Amino acid sequence: MTIDQLMNWIPFGADWPALAFFAAVLVCALTVFLFIAVYALMAIYGEVKISSFMQDKVGPMGQGVGFHAGKWGLLQPVADAVKLILKEDIIPTLADKKLFIMAPFVVFIGAFISFAALPFNQHTVVSDLNIGIFYILAVGSLSVIGIILAGWGSNNKWSLYGGMRSAAQIVSYEIPAALSIITVIMLTGTLSMQGIIEFQKGTIWVILPNWIIFNNPFSFIAFFIFFISGVAECNRTPFDIPEAESELVAGAFTEYSGMRYAFFFLSEYAEMFVISAVATTAFLGGWNSPISGFFDGPGWGLFWFMGKSLFLVFVMLWFRWTFPRLRVDQLMSICWKVFLPFALVNIFGVAIWSLIIG
Amino acid sequence: MSDEQTKLIQEAVAKALAGNMDMINNIEDRVTRSKAKAALVKAKREAKKGAATSEETPSEEIVQAESPPEKSLNQKVAEAIEKKFPASLAGDDVDGHIQLTGANWFEIAHYLKDNPDFLFDSLQCVTGFDLGIENDLEVRYNLHSMTHNHTIEIRIQTDRKNPKIPSVEQVWRIGDWFERETYDMYGIIFEGHRNMTRILLPDDWEGWPLRKDYETQETYHGIVVQKVKDGWE
Amino acid sequence: MGIVHGDLMTLNIGPQHPSTHGVLRLKVKTDGEIIADVEPVIGYLHRCFEKHCENVTYDQVIPYTDRCDYIAAMNNNFGYAVAVEELMDLKVPERVEYIRVIVSELNRIASHLLALGTFGLDVGAFTPFLYMFRDRERILDLFEVLCGARLLYNYIWVGGLSHDFPNGFEEKIIDFLDYFEPQLDEYNNILTFNKIFIERTADVGVMPAEVAISYGVSGPNLRGSGVKWDLRKDDPYSIYDKFDFNIPVGTGTVGTIGDCWDRYYVRMLEMSESINIVRQAIKALPSGDVHQALPKKIRPPKGSVYKRTESPRGDLGYYIESDGSPIPYRLKMRSPAFTALSVMGEISSGWMMSDVLAILGSLDIVLGEIDR
Repeated sequence: MTIDQLMNWIPFGADWPALAFFAAVLVCALTVFLFIAVYALMAIYGEVKISSFMQDKVGPMGQGVGFHAGKWGLLQPVADAVKLILKEDIIPTLADKKLFIMAPFVVFIGAFISFAALPFNQHTVVSDLNIGIFYILAVGSLSVIGIILAGWGSNNKWSLYGGMRSAAQIVSYEIPAALSIITVIMLTGTLSMQGIIEFQKGTIWVILPNWIIFNNPFSFIAFFIFFISGVAECNRTPFDIPEAESELVAGAFTEYSGMRYAFFFLSEYAEMFVISAVATTAFLGGWNSPISGFFDGPGWGLFWFMGKSLFLVFVMLWFRWTFPRLRVDQLMSICWKVFLPFALVNIFGVAIWSLIIG
Repeated sequence: MSDEQTKLIQEAVAKALAGNMDMINNIEDRVTRSKAKAALVKAKREAKKGAATSEETPSEEIVQAESPPEKSLNQKVAEAIEKKFPASLAGDDVDGHIQLTGANWFEIAHYLKDNPDFLFDSLQCVTGFDLGIENDLEVRYNLHSMTHNHTIEIRIQTDRKNPKIPSVEQVWRIGDWFERETYDMYGIIFEGHRNMTRILLPDDWEGWPLRKDYETQETYHGIVVQKVKDGWE
Repeated sequence: MGIVHGDLMTLNIGPQHPSTHGVLRLKVKTDGEIIADVEPVIGYLHRCFEKHCENVTYDQVIPYTDRCDYIAAMNNNFGYAVAVEELMDLKVPERVEYIRVIVSELNRIASHLLALGTFGLDVGAFTPFLYMFRDRERILDLFEVLCGARLLYNYIWVGGLSHDFPNGFEEKIIDFLDYFEPQLDEYNNILTFNKIFIERTADVGVMPAEVAISYGVSGPNLRGSGVKWDLRKDDPYSIYDKFDFNIPVGTGTVGTIGDCWDRYYVRMLEMSESINIVRQAIKALPSGDVHQALPKKIRPPKGSVYKRTESPRGDLGYYIESDGSPIPYRLKMRSPAFTALSVMGEISSGWMMSDVLAILGSLDIVLGEIDR
């Protein structure tokens, strides 16, 4: 469902193309926003429950009727959302009000507009840009501006620390992530998300699906570099030093409350999904079925895409509840001294591999 | 107390003195049991007293008959201090603790820490002490040697009106906080301490709380401080 | 570490902060992420313990000692009881000694679990914290069965105990130990030998032995620096000389001797030693009475005593001066956490922001005991 198709369906599309375009964009934006909101609620519930199972406890539970978290705590995320909406919105007196108010939206926009290029199945993509993956990498960095704004605008030392750490971290980790994506682009020869997925149809090595992760040893490594860099870009444990609740209280978000804080939260989850979706698209065959020729079709496509992405989201949660946190300098040295050289070698490796074998 | 009880207690105490505690422990009534035990303690104490008076003379003879006893650690330390820093001992009695005048205390501390015979490398505890409303203040240092595994206690008295003692903060680093705490509670100024400020109480607290003549300030930042009622213990 | 001496930023960690383990304030001077100076500011939890003690009888002091180190209240009661008994030259029944050792070793395990769990939390590992609290909860349940309280026990009294063991309590302890012993491996798997955890703690906050001794640091922190010093072995009190156990010391397995990881690992090893001691004590537990015959109001003879015992945090000393009345003339508590915190400024300058909290966590402080 690209925007063009939507425009064709709109009856007045031929007469007022500009109006139709805006209507189509609005419909897509609302759908994506709704998707993010529902997904975030599910992810919060998932995070609470998964962490509970990992930590040998039950998490939110409720029995019978009344004001509580519902069966198995299913209503807990709803309660959380209601709480966040109703909470008092506090803006510190000495904060830079404009920046302080702007920051959550900037962060959210960064995650939100990335969804425009995500191919959910063969047809469902808001806009199949010919530079799709490049676009996602580019707008993904918007959030760092928002976090710096939040850190600076709060006029709080902890926030400033969080903001600066976050800026350094996200900017650094974008480099290995982008370099790993380059290996994919070299193999597929296209920047379009759908094009990359189309490339991965069929099988390779007789039984394995023709996914880029299985294409050659270098792209196998590239997947892990991309995914770990992605975790770092989302500021999740073990790379959550910008928030680091035991050090920086809540980092850049220390002074935020209520809905503004919820927006940061929402964008964190949205960004996790985007990173997972890009990893799925670029390395795990996107909406392609793992068994070539079976379970194909738009419905299955959506299932495979969501399944793979959500599995990667689950892996991120798994990381969070298992690992301690790294220190700032260790984080940087991993990025610059390990990931970057490996990513560069990968590029050469893939190039040589394609020349000789491919 | 009924006659029966008295009889029971007497019997039980007699048995207990002979070494059989079961009877006392088996008394069912709690009150009677505790009374019996009290009686037992009394009986034991009397027995001890009697034994002590009868054995006093011979035991002294035994001590004298032995070769001169080895010097205790306290004596050794006191002698060493007297030799190196004359006139800094404040008393001859060195049983249990060594009393110093406070002069040269910093140097003595260094000496005790570095002397290979003693090597008191650890300052265990610094206790401020009030000898009474009319009397002086005192500071007690418990020193310990990790190498030799021995301990001594050193006491230094100082004038109540103008309490000053040399600081040993630069000898044992923990002295820093211990002395600040003592200053906080007793107002004893440790000369040479690099940061002589209150540690536990707020900086604007009035008075020295652990002195025996301490009186609570009436208001603190405009809050009326409640007086302890008379007769409270 | 090259510290550029430009303008330093002063940062207050606490008194309200997620990882100060209570109400502690660290006045930190930072140069970017690097710490130039740390000055702990204490006293936020000062409750006049020593002044209170000069106004209550010897027995009534015991609940106050509970509230000093509320993580290891049994050990505090124990130390106080031992000190008063030494002052009075009192011998307590053998069963009492054994029970005291059992409960204080169990409390040592509980205290170490809390210390290690919150240390994990300080470096960002959330799950081990909950695992350790789950097991600590079992010890607290045992204590609840024993004396009705979960944290402030008031169990060990001068000359005895408040209650004897309830029926079948020994089996309950053995059940717990059987359950708990394999759990130590689980902790090791999830936290101790985790690569990131080692990265964060090895070689960080190194405390050389001389510094530790000069600052009066004791207990696991001192042993972490490689000094084999444990009052249970070196100056045995109660009946600790009857048990066979090792004193683990820091060896610098993954880093330098005396780093945060060593302090952590010493505690981990000490837990299994405590299990060992409890097993031996239960096997040898004699029967008998748990109360020494004492008058209602204890009046120790005139004199003073300084008695040290080994609490989970180190050398816990009580200096007691008696003037022959039923009320202590002066009671000073030498708290191990107080000395451990004083070394903070010395060992944490030059490290990074995150390390300061790791170092603080590895010292295992309890503010109730520091401020008293």
